[in-house]
Amino acid sequence: MRGQEIVAVSLAVLATVGTIAAALWYDHRRDAGREVVELLAIQPKNGNWQPNEIRLERGRPVRLKIRNVETVSHGFALPDFGIGIAEIKPGEVHVVDFTPDRTGVFPFYCTVWCSNEHMAMAGRVIVTESVARASSGR
Amino acid sequence: MRDGYVLGLIPETWRFEVTQFPWVRRLLKSRWMPLALILFNVFLFTVILMAGFFGGLTSPGNYNFGIMIVWILWWVLLMTVLVPVFSRFWCTMCPLPFLGEWLQRLRLFSVRYERGRNLYFGLNKRWPKSLSNMWLMNILFLVTTFASGFFTVRPAATFVLLAAIIALSVVLSLIYRARTFCLYVCPVSGFQGLYSNFALMEVRVKDPEICARHKTKGCVVGNERGYGCPWLLLPYAFRRNTYCGMCFECLKTCEYDNMAVNVRPPGVDLLVDEKRGLDEAYKALIMLGIAVVFFVTFQGPWGTLKDWANAATLSGYLAFIGLHASWNLVVLPAIFLFFVWWARRAARQAVPLKKVYVNFSYATVPLGLAAWIAFSLGIILPNGSYLLHVLSDPFAWGWDLFGTAHFPWTPVLTGIMPYLMILTLLVGVLFSIDIALKIARQTFIEPEAAVRGALPILGFLGAMTFGLMWLFVG
Repeated sequence: MRGQEIVAVSLAVLATVGTIAAALWYDHRRDAGREVVELLAIQPKNGNWQPNEIRLERGRPVRLKIRNVETVSHGFALPDFGIGIAEIKPGEVHVVDFTPDRTGVFPFYCTVWCSNEHMAMAGRVIVTESVARASSGR
Repeated sequence: MRDGYVLGLIPETWRFEVTQFPWVRRLLKSRWMPLALILFNVFLFTVILMAGFFGGLTSPGNYNFGIMIVWILWWVLLMTVLVPVFSRFWCTMCPLPFLGEWLQRLRLFSVRYERGRNLYFGLNKRWPKSLSNMWLMNILFLVTTFASGFFTVRPAATFVLLAAIIALSVVLSLIYRARTFCLYVCPVSGFQGLYSNFALMEVRVKDPEICARHKTKGCVVGNERGYGCPWLLLPYAFRRNTYCGMCFECLKTCEYDNMAVNVRPPGVDLLVDEKRGLDEAYKALIMLGIAVVFFVTFQGPWGTLKDWANAATLSGYLAFIGLHASWNLVVLPAIFLFFVWWARRAARQAVPLKKVYVNFSYATVPLGLAAWIAFSLGIILPNGSYLLHVLSDPFAWGWDLFGTAHFPWTPVLTGIMPYLMILTLLVGVLFSIDIALKIARQTFIEPEAAVRGALPILGFLGAMTFGLMWLFVG
């Protein structure tokens, strides 16, 4: 009986604390070795891409997590690096991995007609040689 | 309809004992049952709570694990399978009172038993007698539905709701004895209890004579094999499913293996004229009323109502609450009262109006359940494919565990959905009519008076059915 009680308590701890720890560990491990940028897709009248300026370091692998937090579809294109996502549905998250191989300023856009201000839904990626990579909001 | 037969076909007394199979009885007598199921659901609800917590206030709900699993999968399973087939089987494996019960028993698996009684931690007070009914659950469930527009689109709202239920269950478990929280407070317990009277399963005594001779009553006071009924019932005297949480403790504690799990015809408990009350009558009408409001608001073509429920404006939200509460607490019960008054007048019998009202309210249960099943079809068939997405990416962190994170929205059988809804309603009203005719005979005794008295109630059931059908396909 005592042995089974220990098993039961262990399973309870595993189901709660273990689940939380495992999820956080898996997510951390998944992103290891990459610069992770969370990019929120928001139509211009509600604030536009956030951040709408992303600073990256040349040669360092990047993971963009593009999250649509609205109730309209958006798209994403970063043409200079050949990256495009046809549609990011409301609530959806798309992951893009790439390594910027040249310096410069590169625009990114929404590719789905999301609102009357759709054409203004744009931001830019700034790739530098320096180590200062702070991303700034609008 | 033949007396003593459900729909004139199956004897009301027909039973098939599932626990006659030794492996089933062994399984239900094991202390891992239902603990193993609860632990699995604790894991699932940990993920749900995490998804709600990280999902925040702004994310649309369609790709949130918490919202999808709770409101698309759990709710639909609850209404379409768990309650109508397995009675309160959800209560068997519900993880929400898990922490509170663990604290009470200070054990997860084993049984604390000394000097002829189970030991519990906490104050173990008795719940006030005035609240030992469904009224509080009626109000709490109705109030919870005021925020239904948030729960289905804002992950944080689902998180707050579940966290509040868990916190409340822990606090009440430390103050009051056993499953008081589940019995008298949990918002989803009341309707499960009432609708379980329609269910195809039951826990009952096999031979009442054995119980009559048995003095120690382990099923009530507990023993070294299990706890006395956590739902504070007398398992040897069960006649209705309403408050039986199907925890199977009585199967473990019975020294004579005299408790059984049976399959039975649907709806037989609705005919048990015992402990019926106005609280349960109101529960039946509130559930029917909320099904109407939910369909009109969330599946109907009136976008303005949906905006009101989602609190697009404060005045709209207040209007939603006002209309919703008035319809469920006043208008529908008043309409039913009119038909009941008419029934009593037509029967020309000196039966108290309250008794007629309470008795006939049980006839609305099959129709109410059918309305909820139909509403559930309107949730799962168009939206079920979202479940594949959230299984792969439960926290919306960009995961793709099973390769289904970007599975396209794929509605299923939506072309015939209205017909499935109507079919469900028709089956429900058929059972309601059967129950109404039998309750009329219970209430008015004299056969001719019973027929006269049943007609207005059949009119109410017919009107509600046509109203719902119009909503589904009109």
